[in-house]
Amino acid sequence: MGGMRRIAAVAANTFRETVRERVLYNLVLFAILMTLSGLLLNPLSLRQDEKIVKDIGLASMELFGTMIAVFIGVGLVSKEIERRSLHLLLAKPLSRDEFLLGKFAGLGLTLSANVAAMTAGLYATLWMIGRHSGPGLLAAVYGILLGLMLAVSIALLFSTLTSSALAAVCTVCVVIGGRFADVIRNMREVAPGAPGWLTTGLYYALPNFHTFDLKDRVVHGDPVGFHQLGWITLYGACYMGVVLLAALASFRRRDFQ
Amino acid sequence: MWRKVLFLALVAAVPILLRKVDQNLGEFRAQEEALYLTSGQQVRRFFPGFEGLMADVYWIRSIQYFGGRRVFAAGKRFDLLEPLINITTELDPKFEIAYRYGAVFLSEPFPMGSGRPEAGVALLERGVRELPRSWYLQQNLGFFIYFFLKDPPRAAKALLEARKQPGSPIWLENMAATFLGEGGERAIARQIWRQMHDTLEDGIFKKNALNNIQRLDALDAVDDLNRVVQALTSRTGRHPRSLEELRAAGLLRATPVDPAGVPLHYDPALGVVEISRDSPLWRQPLPTARRYESF
Amino acid sequence: MDVASTLLVPALSIRGLTKTYRYGHFFSRRSRQALHDLNLELPAGEVFGYLGPNGSGKTTTLKILMGLVCPDQGEARILGLPSTEFGWRRKVGFLPENPYLYDYLTLAEYLDYVGLLFGLSSALRRERAQHLLRELDLVRSAHLPLRRFSKGMTQRAGLAQALMNDPEMVFLDEPMSGLDPLGRRRVRDLILGLKAKGKTVFFSTHILGDAESLCDRVGILRSGQLLAVGRLDEILRMDIPRYEVLVSGLETTQLDALPCGIDNRRDIGERARLQVREGGLGALVTAVERVGGRVLSVQPVSESLEDYFLRQLTAAGEEDPEWAE
Repeated sequence: MGGMRRIAAVAANTFRETVRERVLYNLVLFAILMTLSGLLLNPLSLRQDEKIVKDIGLASMELFGTMIAVFIGVGLVSKEIERRSLHLLLAKPLSRDEFLLGKFAGLGLTLSANVAAMTAGLYATLWMIGRHSGPGLLAAVYGILLGLMLAVSIALLFSTLTSSALAAVCTVCVVIGGRFADVIRNMREVAPGAPGWLTTGLYYALPNFHTFDLKDRVVHGDPVGFHQLGWITLYGACYMGVVLLAALASFRRRDFQ
Repeated sequence: MWRKVLFLALVAAVPILLRKVDQNLGEFRAQEEALYLTSGQQVRRFFPGFEGLMADVYWIRSIQYFGGRRVFAAGKRFDLLEPLINITTELDPKFEIAYRYGAVFLSEPFPMGSGRPEAGVALLERGVRELPRSWYLQQNLGFFIYFFLKDPPRAAKALLEARKQPGSPIWLENMAATFLGEGGERAIARQIWRQMHDTLEDGIFKKNALNNIQRLDALDAVDDLNRVVQALTSRTGRHPRSLEELRAAGLLRATPVDPAGVPLHYDPALGVVEISRDSPLWRQPLPTARRYESF
Repeated sequence: MDVASTLLVPALSIRGLTKTYRYGHFFSRRSRQALHDLNLELPAGEVFGYLGPNGSGKTTTLKILMGLVCPDQGEARILGLPSTEFGWRRKVGFLPENPYLYDYLTLAEYLDYVGLLFGLSSALRRERAQHLLRELDLVRSAHLPLRRFSKGMTQRAGLAQALMNDPEMVFLDEPMSGLDPLGRRRVRDLILGLKAKGKTVFFSTHILGDAESLCDRVGILRSGQLLAVGRLDEILRMDIPRYEVLVSGLETTQLDALPCGIDNRRDIGERARLQVREGGLGALVTAVERVGGRVLSVQPVSESLEDYFLRQLTAAGEEDPEWAE
C-alpha cells in the first residue's frame, strides 16, 4: 500500500544520506583496523589469538556501531528540523509517522550494512590467522545488531524532543546506563542503603543492553539456543516498540516553527 | 486510541520479557575469563579520577564472577577471583566490604569458594593495614587464621590487636584466650583470663573469666590423667576399665574432680579422660572450617 | 461533484484562524500573537498575493495550512478538504522560504524522491522531471549535487519539486527572495504560466512590485491581522490620479524653476521624469514649452501599493521599515 512505499522511499533516501556522509567510512575503517590490530596484539599476550581477535572484532563492532547509531540517529530528525527540509517533505502526502518510521528503517539498513562489512572483516581476519570460525559468531553479531537498533530508536526519540546536541547527550546517558544495567541491579551489594524499589525500578526501566551481549558466550563456544535468541529478540522488539510509539507521539505533537 | 493501548501493552511486556531473558540466560551470565587490565594501576591510568566508581564496578564483577562461576560455570575454577578482588582493593583501599567478603570467597574450600585461604588471609591483612581502626576486619582476620590456617597463636594475636581498637567488644579477648586454650597455648590463655578476671568488676564477664581459668586447669588435669592412663595402658596392654583401676594401681589418690567439683569422665573404650558433660566447664568443640553465614 | 459545484468550491477557505506562539521558560513565559481571526477565501484559478512586512504572520499562515503548525482556533480547507487531511496534498505544491534541499543528492535524485512520495510511477516521474527541468532551465544541472547550486538555482529547483505532481494549487512563500532580476523574471513568468493553465497560486511576499504585476487579488497582513483583501484596482481606486511627464531639453536650473506642484522629479541624462497631480498638469506643460523644453510623453500613474500602505501605516502612527521597493 501507499504508506509502505512512502516509508520505503524515506528509508532508501536515509540510507543514501548516511552512506554519503563520509564520517561513516572513517568509523567503519577504524573498526576494521581495530580488528586487524588484534593480530598485532597476538604475540604480546599469553592468551589464544583467536579469542583476542574475536573479542576485539566484536567489541569494536559494538562500540563503533553504537557511535554511529547515536550520533547519526540523533541527527536524523534534528537536522531536518533545524534546516527545515522537513517542511518541504511534510507538505507532501507523507504523514509524520511514515517519515519517522522511514528514517528508522533507513538507519537500520545502514547499520546492517556496516555490521555486515565489519563481520566480513572479522571473518577475513580470522581466516588470515588460520582459524576458521563457524557461524556461531553470528549469534553475537545478531545480538549486537539488536542492541544498535534499540540505540537508534532511543536516539530518534530524543531527537524529536529536543535539539541535536542535547539529544545526543541524553541518548549516550541512557545507552551507558543500559550497559550497566546489571551493575545497577546489583547495586545493593555495594550500597546496602540504596532503596530496593529504586534500583529494581531503574533496572527494568532502562534498556538492558547487557541482554544483547552474547560476545562472551560465543567466544567461549557456549552454545546460544534459538529460544534464547527468541527471548532476546522479543525483549528488544518490545522495548523498541515502546520507544518508537513514544517518538511517534512526540513527533506528531510538535509545532515546527 | 489503539496506539495508547499498544503502548501500554508493550510497556507492561518489557519487564516481563526481561525477567524471562534473565531466567533463560542466567542472571550472572558467564563472565569473561580475560582480564585486559590486570592491575589497579592500569585501571587507574585509564580512568583517572574514577577510582571509587571503578572499584565498585570491579567489586560487582567479582561478585558476579564468583556467583556465576559457582552456579553456571562447568569448570568451577575461580582463577580470576583473586585478581579481580585485588584490583578492587587497589583502586579503593578503604573498601571494607571487599576485604570481608573477598576473603570469604577466596578462603572457602573448593567448590564453594576458591579454596585459597592464604590468599584470603593475605587480603585481610592488607585490609587491616589500610583500615587500622576497623576492629571488625581484625576480628575476621583472627577467625580466618584460626579456622582456615589453623594457627591459634597467630589468630589470638590478631584478636588481641583488634581489642586494642576503641569500640571493640570485650569478648575479643575471650575469643583470643579460647583460641589459645583450645589450640594448646594454655599458658598464654591462662594469662589473659587471669588478667581479665583481675581487672573486671563483678559480673558475668568476671565469672566467665573464672570459668575459663578453671577449664584450663581442668584441661591440664585431664592431660595429666591421660598421660597416666597411657602409661598404664602400655604396661597392661589394654585400656583400664575405669579410673578405679588407676587408684588401685596407686597412680591416683582420689576420684579426680574438676575445679568445678564434677568428677572427670573416663571412656574405657577409647582410653580417654575428658571433662564430664555434666560439668559447667564442658564446652562444645569449636567449629572447624565450615560454611558460615553471618559475616 | 458536478461541474457547477466544482466551480463554486473555493480553492482555499480559511475561517477564524488564530495562533499565538508561546516561548520562554518557567519564569518568563511570553507569548506573541502571530495570527488573529484570519478569514480568507480564494476561488480556483486565481493568483493571490499575500502581502505583509516580515513578522506579520505570512509564513505562519502557510505553515498552518501545510500542517507544520497547529492553530489555536479556526480551520482551513484546501481544495474543499480540511487542511488536516491528506487528500489535497496530492494536488498541491509548496515551496517554503529559503528552501533547503538535501545537499547530498543530485537534482534528478531529489525530484525522483519527491515523485516517489507522491506515488508517481517511474515513467511519470521521469517525464515530469524532464519537463520541469526544461521549463526551469535546469537541464544541465540535473546531475549536479544540490550543494553546488547557487541561490537562484536552488530556488528554481525548489519550484521544480513543488510542481512535480502537476498540482492544481501552488503555495509559494517568498518565491523571489534573494533572486537577481533575471531570476525574478523567471519566477514571474512561471507564475503567469501557471495562471494561464488555470492553476491557483497563493504566494506571499514583502516585495510589493512583484504582487503588483502578478496578482488578481491581494491580501494585506499586518501583525497577524488581515487589513484588506481585494482586487488591486479596487484598492488603488481610492488613489488620487497622477501623471508622469517625460520632458527633455531643459537645463537643471530651468527644471528647478518650474512651478510647484511637482511631486517627484527624476533626471535621466538630458531628460527628466516629472510627477504631477492631475490639477497641475496643464500648468506644467505650458511652463515647459514656454522655456523651450519638449514634452515627450504624458502618462497617468496610479499610486503604487507602496504609497498606499505607507499611508495606512503612518495613519496608524507606525513607521514600518520592512517594506521594500
